[in-house]
Amino acid sequence: MSAIVTSGLSKTYKSLGKAPVHSLRDLDLTVDENEVFGFLGRNGAGKTTTIKLLTGLIHPTAGRAQLFGVDTLLPDARRMVGYMPEQPYFYEYLTPKETIEFYGRLRGLTVAERQQAWEQISELLDLRDIADRRIRGFSKGMRQRVGFAVALVGDPPLLILDEPMSGLDPLGRRMIRELILKMRDRGKTIFFSSHVLSDVEEICARVGILVSGKLAACDRITALVGDVPKSVEVCATGLTAEFVAGLGDYVLAREERKEGGHRLVVENTEAANQLATEISRAGGMLLSLHPVQESLEDFFTRIQEGTQISLPEEAQPAALAAAEE
Amino acid sequence: MKRIVAVAENTFRESIRDKVLYVLLFFAACTILGSKILGWISIGQDIKIIKDICLASMSVFGALIAIFVGASLVYKEIDKKTLYTILAQPLHRYEFVLGKYLGLIAIIGVSLLVMTVISVGYLYVMGGYVTLVWFQAILLIFVKLVLVTGFAILLSAVVSPIMGAIIVFSLYVAGHATGVFKDLPPQFDGTVSKQVLETAYYIIPNLNTFNLQSEAANNVAVSGAYVSYAVVYGLAWTAMLLILACLAFEGRDV
Ligand SMILES: Nc1ncnc2c1ncn2[C@@H]1O[C@H](COP(=O)(O)OP(=O)(O)O)[C@@H](O)[C@H]1O
Ligand SMILES: [Mg+2]
Repeated sequence: MSAIVTSGLSKTYKSLGKAPVHSLRDLDLTVDENEVFGFLGRNGAGKTTTIKLLTGLIHPTAGRAQLFGVDTLLPDARRMVGYMPEQPYFYEYLTPKETIEFYGRLRGLTVAERQQAWEQISELLDLRDIADRRIRGFSKGMRQRVGFAVALVGDPPLLILDEPMSGLDPLGRRMIRELILKMRDRGKTIFFSSHVLSDVEEICARVGILVSGKLAACDRITALVGDVPKSVEVCATGLTAEFVAGLGDYVLAREERKEGGHRLVVENTEAANQLATEISRAGGMLLSLHPVQESLEDFFTRIQEGTQISLPEEAQPAALAAAEE
Repeated sequence: MKRIVAVAENTFRESIRDKVLYVLLFFAACTILGSKILGWISIGQDIKIIKDICLASMSVFGALIAIFVGASLVYKEIDKKTLYTILAQPLHRYEFVLGKYLGLIAIIGVSLLVMTVISVGYLYVMGGYVTLVWFQAILLIFVKLVLVTGFAILLSAVVSPIMGAIIVFSLYVAGHATGVFKDLPPQFDGTVSKQVLETAYYIIPNLNTFNLQSEAANNVAVSGAYVSYAVVYGLAWTAMLLILACLAFEGRDV
């Protein structure tokens, strides 16, 4: 069974005296069980809107969504989800321990189960030493830990995390990344959003890219960026400047490296082979030869540009306003 | 049910850790104790006046808690975004609304209890005594606050706290004055105002139903039947307001 299935999921915000905002249009998405799915998009693309629809915080204008076959309008669907909002807010007057206890009760856990949940979660997120301090004085990183902890209460099979790494220092980002992978290894499905590509690139099997409320692409990263190398980079030393300048047009780029030697770029492996032969004939030494893949970032940029142009007029102001935020 | 209790307990705990409640209780206690000063002014009548002031301060301070805490009860959670993780739990929205409501009612109940103990002790110290009607009067103040809180939470699910507090406060005042709407002087006959005000008489709960202040001050017995009627009247209103509050919150985007 799929963890998440949405069909035609749409959300339009209407408020008095303002033009309606089409935050999400016709989203068809399937996320399989035990998959780490990255949900990409710029600020204002509609990621949070999608996540709020999945967690039942808002109701769709059209379409529907199911979690493990249960419609998101039903409270039962939320039994399957652990959710961490963009900025987790909790009762400031509670301690992490009381917070976990409270959410355990909301999930209907027994006293013993709540005790066990605290033992496991506090261990995993290193909450022991702040267990009895009120959340009021917590730093962003500590709050994020509590946020993750709350998402884990009741051991739900699906974790939905809204920008879990935003605003964290490198150490914090790594912690979240490792937690996500650990949860995947425990068989959980993880759906998380981000506007930072490197977060997604390293840990996701599949990504969806949202542009102005529309799913512009959704696939394995390798399928999106392609297996075929974009170009091949060749580095060599012991070459004279005349030799480098005299190379044929098949060399697309040539430059001197700061650390000595030259960096040359050709289109494909055949061309690289030819270049290697010429280098050794000229008495130079080959240092490296490696294919350059299109990065997800290149793809992301390409798709943003492509889709933005073909969007209907009305979508533009919202997208622009959001981009300015 | 367990989830309602969890939310209610947490709301109760929040207020216990919040200083506002203590400030209000402190002022209420001061008013009760300070009533002595007024008592001196009219010699021979002081116990009666103390009783009057005690009940009035319970009613007013209880209403202040109900209106100002109640009107921000749900809104605050939306505003501070604490609601996100709570509504993402397997709980019905009405369970959340009822939990918040019952938590606040528990606080109001405890506050009234504290004030009752203080007032009874004080009256005995001053050489007075209380009869059944004293407790009946306090019971009906409680029922009145239960109703007002129901109205406050309904508004807190739809409008901002300031707006909500203003509306509830107006209703609180109007609810004490509904008798006036019914018996308008003859110059109002046939005007639109008369129709509006008469309609208001029928759709605004009559809060004077819960007022046994002068009976309690004068030790005049009130029949159990009347008290039961007032309790049922208050609870029926409350039930209707709570249903509306739950419905208003059910479809709301947060
Ligand atoms: N409650 C709301 N009312 C009106 N517009 C909204 C509301 N919430 C979000 N939006 C709009 O919907 C669009 C998508 O927002 P959001 O889903 O938060 O984007 P993201 O999380 O990708 O940054 C934005 O243009 C935003 O301004
Ligand atoms: Mg967002």
